Formats: sequence, structure tokens, C-alpha cells
Amino acid sequence: MLRNRFLQRSFLWLLIAVMGMSLRPSNAQAQAQAPSQLAEYIRATLVQIQLHAVDRTTAQNQLADVQRAYQGLAATLARYAPAADAAIQSGFDDAEQALAASDLPRFAAARTQIWTALLNGSYMVVTGALQAGDALTAQQWLPVREFRHANRFDRPNADATKAVRAAVIGDAAPEVALAAVQADLLDTYQARLHEALNVLAIADQQGFAVRRAEIAALAAGYFTILAPAYAEQRGAAATTATQAIFAELRLAALRGAPIQSLLAQAHAALSGFRAAPLSPAEQVRRSGQMLRFLQLVPIEYERGVRNGQVTVDLEIREAITFHAGALAAFTDLRDLLDQRDPTLTATIANHFTKLGAALTNASNRIAVTDPAAIHALTETLLADLRRLLPPEWQKQDSGADFDVIRSALDQMEQAVRAGEYALAESARLEAYAIMEIGPEAKLIAFAPQYKPIIEGYFWYGQNDHKGLAYLIERRAPPAEIAATRAALDQALAEAEQALAGSNAPLAITTNAAVIVFREGLEAVLILASLMGSLKTATQRRFRRPLWIGAGLALLATVVTWLLAQGALMAMARFGEKLEAIVSLIAIAVLLLITNWFFHDVYWKDWMASFHQRKKQILGGQAGQWLGLITLGFASIYREGFETVLFLQALTLEGSVTIVLLGVGIGLALTLLIGLAVFAMQAKLPHKKMLIVTGILIGAVLLQMVGHTVNVLQVIGWLPIHPIRWLEFPYWAGFWLGLYATWEGIGLQAAAAIFVIGSYYLAEYMQQRDWQRYARAS
Amino acid sequence: MTRLFRLSILVAWMALFLSACGPTATPTPTTIPTADLNGIKDYLLGQTSALVAAATQLQAATNRYYQLAETTAFDYTALWQSRQNDVIDAITAAREAWITASPTYEKMEGIVAGTPALAQFDIDLDAGAAGDEDPENAVSFDLVLADGRTLPKPGNLFGVTESALWGTEPAFAAPVEADWNGNGTLEFGETLPDAHVLKASADLLTQMAGKLDEAARAWTPTETDAFTALVVMVPTMSEYFASWRDSRFVSGESSTQRDFNVISRLADIQDILGGLEIVYAQVRPRVETIDTAQADQIATGLRNLKAFVADIYAQERNGRRFTPEEADTLGAEAQNRATAITGQISQMAGALGVPLAE
Repeated sequence: MLRNRFLQRSFLWLLIAVMGMSLRPSNAQAQAQAPSQLAEYIRATLVQIQLHAVDRTTAQNQLADVQRAYQGLAATLARYAPAADAAIQSGFDDAEQALAASDLPRFAAARTQIWTALLNGSYMVVTGALQAGDALTAQQWLPVREFRHANRFDRPNADATKAVRAAVIGDAAPEVALAAVQADLLDTYQARLHEALNVLAIADQQGFAVRRAEIAALAAGYFTILAPAYAEQRGAAATTATQAIFAELRLAALRGAPIQSLLAQAHAALSGFRAAPLSPAEQVRRSGQMLRFLQLVPIEYERGVRNGQVTVDLEIREAITFHAGALAAFTDLRDLLDQRDPTLTATIANHFTKLGAALTNASNRIAVTDPAAIHALTETLLADLRRLLPPEWQKQDSGADFDVIRSALDQMEQAVRAGEYALAESARLEAYAIMEIGPEAKLIAFAPQYKPIIEGYFWYGQNDHKGLAYLIERRAPPAEIAATRAALDQALAEAEQALAGSNAPLAITTNAAVIVFREGLEAVLILASLMGSLKTATQRRFRRPLWIGAGLALLATVVTWLLAQGALMAMARFGEKLEAIVSLIAIAVLLLITNWFFHDVYWKDWMASFHQRKKQILGGQAGQWLGLITLGFASIYREGFETVLFLQALTLEGSVTIVLLGVGIGLALTLLIGLAVFAMQAKLPHKKMLIVTGILIGAVLLQMVGHTVNVLQVIGWLPIHPIRWLEFPYWAGFWLGLYATWEGIGLQAAAAIFVIGSYYLAEYMQQRDWQRYARAS
Repeated sequence: MTRLFRLSILVAWMALFLSACGPTATPTPTTIPTADLNGIKDYLLGQTSALVAAATQLQAATNRYYQLAETTAFDYTALWQSRQNDVIDAITAAREAWITASPTYEKMEGIVAGTPALAQFDIDLDAGAAGDEDPENAVSFDLVLADGRTLPKPGNLFGVTESALWGTEPAFAAPVEADWNGNGTLEFGETLPDAHVLKASADLLTQMAGKLDEAARAWTPTETDAFTALVVMVPTMSEYFASWRDSRFVSGESSTQRDFNVISRLADIQDILGGLEIVYAQVRPRVETIDTAQADQIATGLRNLKAFVADIYAQERNGRRFTPEEADTLGAEAQNRATAITGQISQMAGALGVPLAE
């Protein structure tokens, strides 16, 4: 009985388990339902049939299987793309007849027709579903597609996939995904069409009958996908004519008739056609890439050639890479440029070819062109391009800058792999210089949180991945450098995304205003509080050296501006180091002035014993004047250099007027702050004024020390020991100079001790003198 | 004082407005999560150790041959006349070692060539061209021979050793007609290598195999390495099929290709794909986190591509001689499959946010 119950229960559990398993869709079933898997099954089986067509019965059975499999896709295709469905059905009929007649070329053409109609149908489903707001269907069908043939240097991008995924989870609008899908797929199929025509010519030359029929049908199929875009750009009549060319080509290839003339007609019909036209943003980006890459060509070339000999191969290869980047961008824009000025476009194309040939000849040691000639040729190209490109394309584009930065970083990695660390450092500096004169100015205003992260990765960062400068200096293995590079890429990608759309005039004005306000604030606080505190007639003369110093700094800033116009790239490589040096001078002077201020202004005035010390003060007056001039100069010029670079970068993106408007607003705000401080100093009672001045200067000194230590750490002049348990928000570093490193906090504390100690020392000396004075009297 | 107060308030608001232009939160540097990729390294180390062993055998056999040549002061006619059996034994042993070493390398080529940190080994060992043929893709070394000659950038080491051992490059062969089987006809492989070239190339190959082993031990695979290896190596099918089409296996006696005449390139492709399957198996769990169907399709695609090549190889082994047109069609199909797989892998890498190395 017990045994029976056990058996019954076991049977029941088994039954439940079996039912459960049968109700759960098996992996195979689930997979069979995926459109891409079905499509691949159809494609691959048709190829197998062609390869083993000798066994007719098996082939016919397999074809029947494929037709049955197609039923899994037919309903959706018939709904979104009835023409594609019809082409597939007719392709199956043709394939059947070809098998029956053992006509291999005809079968090859039919199977290619089926496949390209499937691709077309999938494209229609994806775009149709996105238009209907059904991102899920689009996601399911998107993998039924082809990709550009990849090689070691060029891989398919994932733009469409990412956009559709984003649409599915609601992170992107379906229209955005639609644009990405159209751009990606149309571009892919156009590339495959061109490739097919080239392969067709080769197959024809070799007399490969089956391949010829197959590829001609493939080309015709690809054109069917592109036809709506073609019609949109060239009109219905031109589309009908081109379709007729491809139909004839298909037929001629199938019959073994000559196809050269039809091939030439097909190429002519496609000349100048771009199925996925570049969006205005892409046009600006390509234009930016072209100009930036071209500017780098002579720089790299010059570094690689000495006395008519190639001395550094890698530099020449970098020049070739940058030339190739510029040429690729030019090729993408060529059709549009042709419409503006075909003669000038042709001239530019010739110059590109000439430049490319000179670089290749140098690389192959055939002939080494003088760097001056390469420079002149590039300048001619750039001048022609500036005449040809629409003004709106010539605005700096941070997207293009990021592309060029990545390319320079590629060169860096390549150099590291070749063990050429000096060249790797040069390429790193190149990439950093582009960052500095390009996106960094915008980062300050719109995504300042990325600035220290990116700088850290470029220089001496100590996070999970050490900075590139640090790693290159220590000749770190390529894998370690690649890891930091990957992290830097990630940060750059996020920063790029954060900066998207930040080149509107209002944004640029705000950007310039923020930069000027931020960089000018410290200087104004120092100068205004010092000048405000120098109230008495005797003290007012000390305002003069401050004004002179400030005036000299403004003059130096103007000179920097003028110099930077010609050599922005070269100067950007040294921005951080110059800032560090001037900051150190500013801090040193400020410490001296603080010390002097407490001793000579606070307490001497109180003691009213100025006349007794007159001789001593007069003796040190020259030093005080020089100190005050230096303070006035260093306070303003400390960040003046970098500010100029940033503002120059912004003028490339917007107009000078827009930038100057921002500069005006920034200056007005800093002046307001200055006036407020000055007025407050003037209104306050003497004792309070002294306290406020002391606190203000002390605070600015601490900020300056913190910020300077950070800059010194960025460029590797000071070690970094992070305080792990302490975390400051980003703004604390940006506005107050607070960074959680032992060096930063330690030196700020030392500066604070110096200032406070100076105050108490002065007080102690005053009391001592007062007591002596009291005892004497 | 009131005016001063108002002014201060206004300035404070302005400052607040400007400071608000940027976000205040500090983003932490993005760390890229990684899958457990130890399997890739284990597999690679298994192959590098095997390669070191096979290369050492090759070196030992070539040393034997070199010592034999030394006995006749490198007079190969005298050598062939006096030590024929010893010479054949030494060369046969060297060939056997080469036939073991070459596929061993192919099994890891997908990882070595596709990983930027190791890729130079692939160029020098198996993929690099001779400097006079293709300077852009040439090997990095010059071959210094014991007799004082230097062969500048002679081509990859497996290629040099193969062409020296089987005589497909006249410059690496000894100036003697060696009719191994004495049938009066010089057939494929009936040759004596230039002992200096063979020794120098085998020595360097052994040395480089050791360095590759060291580099592989020091290497820590990342997801970027794994995905990059896949997208770099999977789409190279057309190159392999082209060298198969141009080799003796398809073109027969009319082949002028120096390398890949001993082991069919079809076998190499399978070995390479086998290695790449291992790589994909390691990252597949990560792909499955975002798209199970796609993860499965990539695996199926790789498996089917390998089976497709295996089927052709089996036919070839069974004596079928493919025509150049058939080889072209098969190569195009393999390339189509490879392109589709590469595209799918790229999409998944993109969706996962795994950057691909250049």
C-alpha cells in the first residue's frame, strides 16, 4: 500500500514535471522564433543548397524546409513590407524552377533575391515599427541585417542597436532611433552595393558564371533597399531608370552576356549619391575633423624628418593617419562640396592626393619632401577649404575634437606597443592640447565635474587607473596603459554626451561669462580688499603698484591672446605648467604681502609710531612696491593664460562678438564683486575692515594654495596621496580649492598656520613694543 | 549701508547663478565591470607552453641538420652525397616538429593577433610580410645568420621555416638537387634547406615562443581584449580563404605562394575559430545579460562557421580538389557569415559599453 502510494505520488510528480517542461517554451522553440535566427537559417540553407545542388532531391526537400521556415516571418513582412514579401515568394518560385532545371546561376540569383528582399523587408519592419512607436518589434527585427565588412581597423558601429535599445526602455524617442537606424542601415547597404559592383567586375573577368549571376542579383537587391532614398534625392524618373539598369545587369549576368557597359552605367547612376545623407550636425563634425586632422599633419611630419631624412618612422605614420582621417572626412563631404564649387573641390581633392603621396613616399623612403613644403601644401589646403566650406561648418565642433583626441590617443597606444615611449608622450600631449583648446572650455561651464577626472587620466591621476603621463614616464606595459585609455575613453564619451548641444550662442556666452567670473574672482577679491583697506593718505600710495601690476597683467593677457591666435595648439601643451609657475609666484608674493600687511599696516597704524619707523619703511619701500606690482600682476595673469586659451577656443565655436559679450558679463560680475568688497571696506569701521580684509585675503590664499597644489599634482610636480576617508563634492574643489589629498590639505593648513601665526606674531610684537613704549614714557 | 547691502545681495545671487551652471555632484571615475576571463588565459597558456615545447623540438632537429652541414663546411653537394640518410632524418624530424608547432600557434592566433598587447608576436611569428613585399605590414626583425649574412625583414618565422624546410623559397634552399626518393624527379619537398637560414629562423622562433609565453603569463585579459580579439579576428576569413585558394591545395603546381603549402589553410581556420570560441564562451554570460537570443546566435554562428569550414576541409581530405570559382564562392560565404557574427558581436560590445581597442 505504502509502496503504491509512493509510486502514485512519484508518477504524479513526474507528470507535473513533464507537463511543466512541455508548457515551458524550450530554448530551441524560443530561438526559432527570433526573426534573425530564422532569416539566417534561410540564408545559410540556401547557400548549402547551392553548394550541394547536385543532389536534386535533397536540395528540393531543403528548399521546402526553407519555405516553411519563412512562414514564421511572412505575416510581419506582409504587413510592413508587402513588396518584399512578394519578391521573396517570387524568389522561391524561381529557385524551385532553377533546381528543377539544374540551372545553378539562376538558383544563385534567386537565392540572392530572397536574401536581399528579406533584408529590405526587415528594414521596412524596423522603420515602420519605429514610426508606429513600436520599439520592441523594431528591436526584434533589427538583427535581420547585414553589416559593413569589418577589417582590422574598421568595425561596424553599434549606433542603431544602441538607439533602438534606448527607445525600448524609453531613454530615447522613437524618431531618434529611426534616424540612427536609417543612417546605419542605408550606409551599410550602400557600402555593400559598391562592394558588390566591384566584386562583380572581378568575377566577370575571371569568367565565374555562377558568381556573376549571384552578385549581379545581390547588387540589384541592395539597390531596391536604397531606391526610396534615391527617389527622394534624384526623383522618380531617375530611380526608374536606375532600377532598369540593375534589372538589365541582373539579366545580362544571368545569361552570360557582356556586362561592362551596364556596370559603368550603374556606377555613373550612383555617382554622388549618398543614401544616408549626413545630418547638419554630422556635416559640422566631419568638417571639424577634416580641419583638425589636417592641422596636425605638418606638425607630425616635421617631427619625423631631419635634414631630408626620416628620423622617426612613427611620426610619419601619425601624419599619414591624420591625413587619412582628414581625407575620409573630405570624402564624406565631397558630394555636398561639389554642389558648392566643383572646381575648387577638385583642386582640394588633388591637393589631398598630392599630400598623401608625399607622406607615403617619405614613409617608404622613396622621396622625403621638405617639412616646409608639407606645411605650405597643408596651409594651401586649409585656405582652400576655408573658402569652400560654409561658415557654419567652420565653427569648432567639440564632437569632432573628441574624435581627433581619440585618434591621437590611438597613436599614443600604437607608440607604446612599439616601445616608443617618447613618441607616446608626444601623442598624449597632442591629445591633451586638443582637449585644452577644444572641449575643456565648455566643460568648465557645462560639465565641470568631468574636468578633474579627464585631467587625472591624462596626467598623474591616482584612481583605479593611474594617469597616462605617469604610466608613460614609467614605461608601463601596454596593457596597463590600455586600461587607463579605456577609462579615459569612457570619461570622454560621457563628457561628450554632456556637452551635446552646448554650442548655441547663449550657451557660449554663458560659458565665457562663467570662465571669466571664475578665473577673475580671486584676483578681484585680493585686489579689491587690499585697495579697500589702504584708506589713509599714506597708505593710498600703495594702491599704485597694485594698479600697475594689474595693468601689466592685462597687457600680458592681450599679448597672449594675440600669440595664441597663431599657435593655439603649441601653447596649449604648456598651459598647466605655466599656470603652476605663475601660481607659485602669486602664492609666494601673497604670503609676503600678508606678512607685511599684518606687521606694517595693521599694527603700525595703531601704534601711531609710523614716523619713528619712517626710515626703515622707506628703506624697504622699493621691495614693497615690487612685491605689490608682482602681486597685482600674478593675481590677474595667474589664470590669464589658460583663460585666453579657453576663450580662443570658444571664438572658434561661436563668433568673437558672442564670446566678448560673455567676457563682458563675466567682467561686470567680477567688477561688481570688487566694487562691493571695496565699498564694504570703505564703509566699515577701521578695525572691522582690517578683520574682513585679513579673512578675505586668508581665504583667497587658502583657495590659491589648494588649487595650485592640485595643478602641481596634475602635471606630476607633486606626489598624490589621496585621503580615502574624506570626500569633497566637486564644487568644493572648483570654488574653494579643497581636494582630498594629504598634500593639498596639508599645505592649506600650513598656509593657514602661517597667516594666523603671522597675525599673532604681529600682535605679540605690537604688545611688546607698546609695553616698552609705556615703560619708556 | 542699505545700498551696500543690496549690492552684496545682488552679487551673491549672480555668483550663485553662475556657480549653478555646473552640476555639483562629483562623478566617480567610471569603472568597467569585467567578466571572469581566466579561461582565456588558461587556454592561452596551455597553447604557449605547447608551442615552446614544439619549437624546442624544431630547434633541436635544425641544430642536428646544421651540425651535419658543418661537417662538410656547408658544401651541400658533399653533404647530400656523404650523409644522405642522416640529412633526411634531421629534416624529417624538423618538419614533424614544425607540423606540430604551426597548428599549436594557430589555435591561439585568434587571441594573440586580436589582443593589442600581444599582436606584435603574431606579426613576427605568423602573419608579418617580408619587407620587400609589403613594408607596411612587415615583420619587425632582421635575421642575422651565423655566416655573417643578414636577411632584412625576411617575413614571419613560421613562413621562413616552412619555406626553408620544404623549399618553396629558393633563396632559403641549399644549391643542390636532392632527389629524396631517387625516382629521377624533383617533387614537392625534395630539397635541402640553407642550414644557416634554417638554424637562425628556428632559433629565433624558439626564442620568440618563449617570450610569447612570458608575455601571456604577464597578461591579464580584459573584456576589451576579449571583444577586440573577436571583432579583429573573426572577419579575417576572406584573407585565409584567399591564401587557401592561392596555395597548392587549390591552385596545385601553379601555386607561387611561399607559405601555407604544408598544412591546408582550412585546418588553420578551424584552429583559429576554436580559439575564438573559447574567447566567446568567456564573454557570453555578459552578452546574455542583455540579449539571450543574440548571445545564442553568436555562439551558433561561430559553431556553424567552424562546421562549414570543417565540411570543406573534410571534402578536401577526401580528395576533392575545389576549383578557384568554388573556392571563391566558399570564401565569400565564409566571409558573409564572419561579417554577420562580427557585426553582432560589435553590437553587443556597444550595448554593453565595452570599448574596442584600435
